[in-house]
Amino acid sequence: MADKNWFASLFILMILFFAGEIFSAEVKINCVDCHTSAKYKGMYKESVHGNIGCKGCHEDIKSLDRHIIKKEKPSLISCGKCHGEIDKAYRNSFHYLYEDFRCYDCHYEIHTLRPEKGQFKITVAKNCTKCHTNEEYALSGHGAAVMKGNKDSATCSDCHGLHDTKAYHTSTERYILEAREFYNRTCKSCHSDREMMIRNGLSPDTVKYYEETYHGKVQDLGYPTSVAGCADCHTTHNILAKRHPDSAINPKNLTKNCEKCHHGIHPRFAEYKAHPDYKDRKRYPLLYVSFLSMVVLLLVTFAFYWTHTLLWWRKVYWEKHKLEQLGIKPESPFAHEENIQEIRRFSIKDRVMHVLLIISFFGLVITGFPIKYHNEPWAKVIIKIMGGAHNAGLYHRLAAIILIGLFLVAIWRSIRFLFPKGFCKKDRKGWLDRLFGPDSLMPNKQDWRQFKAMVMWFFNKGEYPKFDRWTYWEKFDFLAVFWGMFIIGGSGITLWAPEMASYVYPGWVFNIASIFHSEEALLAALFIFTVHFFNTHLIPTKFPMDPIIFTGSYKLEELWRSRTLEYERLVKEKRLDEFKIKHPGLALKIASSTFGYVSLLIGIIFTFIILWTFFFG
Amino acid sequence: MLRIITVLTVILYFIISCTAYQQPPLTEQASIEPAQAVALKKEKGAIFVDTMSYLECMDHRIPDSLCIAFEEFEEKSKAILKNKGQHIIFYCESDECLRAGQTYQKAKILGYKNIFILNGGLPAWKKAGYEVESIHRIKRAPVVSIKPHMLERLIKEKKDLFILDARSEDLYRSGHIDGAVNIPLYELNKRLKDIPKNRPVLVIDENGKKSFLVCCWLINNGVKDVIRFYGGMKYKETKERKKG
Repeated sequence: MADKNWFASLFILMILFFAGEIFSAEVKINCVDCHTSAKYKGMYKESVHGNIGCKGCHEDIKSLDRHIIKKEKPSLISCGKCHGEIDKAYRNSFHYLYEDFRCYDCHYEIHTLRPEKGQFKITVAKNCTKCHTNEEYALSGHGAAVMKGNKDSATCSDCHGLHDTKAYHTSTERYILEAREFYNRTCKSCHSDREMMIRNGLSPDTVKYYEETYHGKVQDLGYPTSVAGCADCHTTHNILAKRHPDSAINPKNLTKNCEKCHHGIHPRFAEYKAHPDYKDRKRYPLLYVSFLSMVVLLLVTFAFYWTHTLLWWRKVYWEKHKLEQLGIKPESPFAHEENIQEIRRFSIKDRVMHVLLIISFFGLVITGFPIKYHNEPWAKVIIKIMGGAHNAGLYHRLAAIILIGLFLVAIWRSIRFLFPKGFCKKDRKGWLDRLFGPDSLMPNKQDWRQFKAMVMWFFNKGEYPKFDRWTYWEKFDFLAVFWGMFIIGGSGITLWAPEMASYVYPGWVFNIASIFHSEEALLAALFIFTVHFFNTHLIPTKFPMDPIIFTGSYKLEELWRSRTLEYERLVKEKRLDEFKIKHPGLALKIASSTFGYVSLLIGIIFTFIILWTFFFG
Repeated sequence: MLRIITVLTVILYFIISCTAYQQPPLTEQASIEPAQAVALKKEKGAIFVDTMSYLECMDHRIPDSLCIAFEEFEEKSKAILKNKGQHIIFYCESDECLRAGQTYQKAKILGYKNIFILNGGLPAWKKAGYEVESIHRIKRAPVVSIKPHMLERLIKEKKDLFILDARSEDLYRSGHIDGAVNIPLYELNKRLKDIPKNRPVLVIDENGKKSFLVCCWLINNGVKDVIRFYGGMKYKETKERKKG
């Protein structure tokens, strides 16, 4: 009985063993036994997927019997199973989202796909141009170079992405901001690669110089739709060298190119340099000289005035310290009642003009400096607060109109000052005396003498000079605004309406105007925020602020102390009583202090920001 | 007098406020995101309706969608969508496509109560990570495209060019290229015989998003020389408007 059971068990085991062999033999049937085409038989083995085997992709065939009689077909394979990263990127690409392309729509014959051996860029170009075969692509300087074997030149995927082609369909006016940001960044990424550019005989600093222009600065601030980006001048695909007659930047085509944005221009508008190197004396001699002259002007002005200011501060502080140390209070020649008498220094007109000047000046600085220092984080914040570069531009122009208005009023008032009675011959008499007289802001010999005396006083070698109504530094402040207005206003108006300006002068003047406008702005802002602020407010005798420009008057003692000659002249001419006014009201004083302190604070903050950016930015 | 003006102003303000409150924009209420649409299908048995052409719908669609082109909705809905209380979600080929919105309005007039529009159309559905199904996928093929400025030269070079305007009848009537033949996309599958196989065919659509598929379909059906008009009529009009 036991033997029988033993034999039965052995028999069952043998059946199971052979059945297993038969089953495994069935699974091991080779796919190429049926799929005899050359691409499956021989070529597949040598393809990039050759080592995976058929079931690596076609894994869902459960029954070979059913598959052989075509009852079970393999479902679509998932390339993403292995190519996960590509799959993830592809699912956000234009080709998938809008055209529902699948892997095999581009990778036509997956079974014979061979590895690319240094021909990747050419293969991409060939594959993309099967559909995108516009003549533009074929003409493209980049495309032509790729086909010649240049491995640096951009093929389709270098700009548009390979599996992550963006959904920036240029046929519709959508995603303009995203598209411009994306493509500008793409162009810049290669064209700022120094080694690559030198290798290909191109300027390695083109991007850097473009970013120094108005176009580049506004674009960098995050508003690429308002200004010319790379493709606006160089076009998108038909990017050819300047010498090629079909090139968009060929001098023959350039005016037409600029006209796309700047309507109604004179052909000489196109002489504007889109990305010049100001420091290249040979290629851009005029720009070089302009830049250099502005740098020299800035250096000389600040070297002189900052030294002057420093010496002055030392002297005043030292004297104050001595008086405090010895417990001496400055003596006054006036009795208490006379001493508190207010004397008018500025008329209502002067004060209103100065308030407007502050508003317009700060408006210009706040809206203009973020463009100058476009790559600083603070610049982006300020522009964002103002609602974008376009709005900042509007505010800048509004402030400029106020300043130009003030400039014209100042000119008119100067003329009236010289010719108070009229312009007839007999009425003009005495205008030269008035021009160089004590009430005029025109520098004269006395200013030179006072300056020398002041310097002596700085070094403890003389008395504090006696001043009349205007000191030499006040005259400089006034005339500097005049000088600045011609430079900054003239260049500003040119840049405001370059189309109209092109009928007066050629496009390269805009480059010079940009240099003048930018550097003169730096000069003006730093001068006002350091030298003027110190001379007028931060000097220890007036610290923290002298509100006279808002209240309009000061004490008699102050007149006597700071403008001795004027006091003596008014006494001599018996005109002092004309200037005696009441003490300014509380409301005016509060308003003056608030406005003055806020202005001072903004100025000091900006000084800090500018200097920080200049040295560490 | 001043008092009367003040009272009238206050009354007017309240009337305007109430009117504004009573009429919220319809589309905002009807527009739903892909995830909401999936939930609606699960909870209320909502049906997706592909409002594009039959060809496009069969090529790829949201799984289990009904293919009812906007132009055919009135006729087909009577037979397929008898229950006016049925939850229906209309969708289109992109967020630029107006067909889903137009079908929505038509359905509203026909008395359908629970209707919605899939915000962003098929691209939004795909972007949200949901799959699509293909019933009769049109095999993609390389298609040459031309831009508007090349049109004149193409017409001169290819004398027997057949210009196929696949837009709706209304859009065709509002302006088309001289000599273009209008076969709206929704009835293209029934009118293959109207397209000459031995002539070059230039395919024009609304915004360049459909012409590629039409070109592939024509190539698969034996048309040898097929050209696509890049960006459709919208791109051509934009270019012309910019030129001034």
